Amino acid sequence: MTYEEYLDGRKVVLTVAPTGGVHGKDANPNVPEQPEEIAAEVRTCEERGAAIAHLHGRDEHGENSARRLQAVNDAVRDRCEDIVVQNTTGGQATYEERVQGIRTDPYPEMASLDMGPFNREQHIITEHNRHNIESLAEEMREKGIKPELECFNNGHLNEVHRLIETGLLEEPYYVNIIFGHGTFTMPSPENVLNMIRNLPEGAEFNLLAVGRHQLPLTTLSAIMGGHVRVGMEDNLYLERGVPVESNAQLVDRTANVLEGLGCELATPAEAREMLGIGGTKRAISG
Amino acid sequence: MTCPYLEYRDDDGELEFDHERPFCRAQESFVSPMRADICNDRYDFDHRDHCEVFRNAEDGEAATPLAEGQD
Ligand code: SF4
Repeated sequence: MTYEEYLDGRKVVLTVAPTGGVHGKDANPNVPEQPEEIAAEVRTCEERGAAIAHLHGRDEHGENSARRLQAVNDAVRDRCEDIVVQNTTGGQATYEERVQGIRTDPYPEMASLDMGPFNREQHIITEHNRHNIESLAEEMREKGIKPELECFNNGHLNEVHRLIETGLLEEPYYVNIIFGHGTFTMPSPENVLNMIRNLPEGAEFNLLAVGRHQLPLTTLSAIMGGHVRVGMEDNLYLERGVPVESNAQLVDRTANVLEGLGCELATPAEAREMLGIGGTKRAISG
Repeated sequence: MTCPYLEYRDDDGELEFDHERPFCRAQESFVSPMRADICNDRYDFDHRDHCEVFRNAEDGEAATPLAEGQD
């Protein structure tokens, strides 16, 4: 996770987030919502170099539903070769709903773990209190699921340090730093550098940034020795006024930029190795 | 209670969708999956308390809610 590692040619892990739970086909008709649609997009992205798929479930109307993650996981595993499945435990749903992300069969190899709440629109605040965060972290540790520690703002980095002190996390700590509007960290190169400076020892980091910040700030992440996440969960436009046609389009664009910078993308197997992902697909027992 | 302005449509007048999508009659447009959680009062969100579109529609009577059972 350093500039020297970028210079030394360390590989970059690319995560694709094909859908999320915020936007639907009302915002861009190309957003995949149903399990087969999502899986088809993820498969193309895997072919173009994505090592991890960050997944959300939607119900039959396209609305948030962590209960559909099982169907999404099944469809992705059917279609894809080896991509790492990372389920969300985030979003605006209740704890009981969100925990379904780590109760699929088999368990996902990774899951997101929000480090605290954030606001959206006029009244939505996500329910991520310390009790819920620790419960999720504990269940992930028991099941061998690698948490992706989601830091929506720099205060959330304090919570990463706190969780490490409680002994709930194992190295390398995989921290996702997030830039955008609202209560996310303000998107600027200076803030990216500041977040990186405040990471704990023994951390690997990934960067996601929304909308037009996606390409420049993920590129900066790679130069600073970090990893990148792209996809339609975070960005619905290729450029101003031009809607994204597919997730693969965003993956291709980033892969091309990284190639120009001399970065190679990690395969799913290499990503497991670099990030300390167990790689075992365990079945639920009992 | 699901918002009386909410209905599900499987086309937008031109394109047909594979599945029905949430449509808000108060604003005459399809709504996002995140918004539809409020329309459906899931996760303790409530259209009366939390949706400014609902409040504006009720105050201004911009659109007629569906009668009970009509959806
Ligand atoms: S957006 Fe508001 S007014 Fe429209 S259907 Fe949803 S809750 Fe009702």
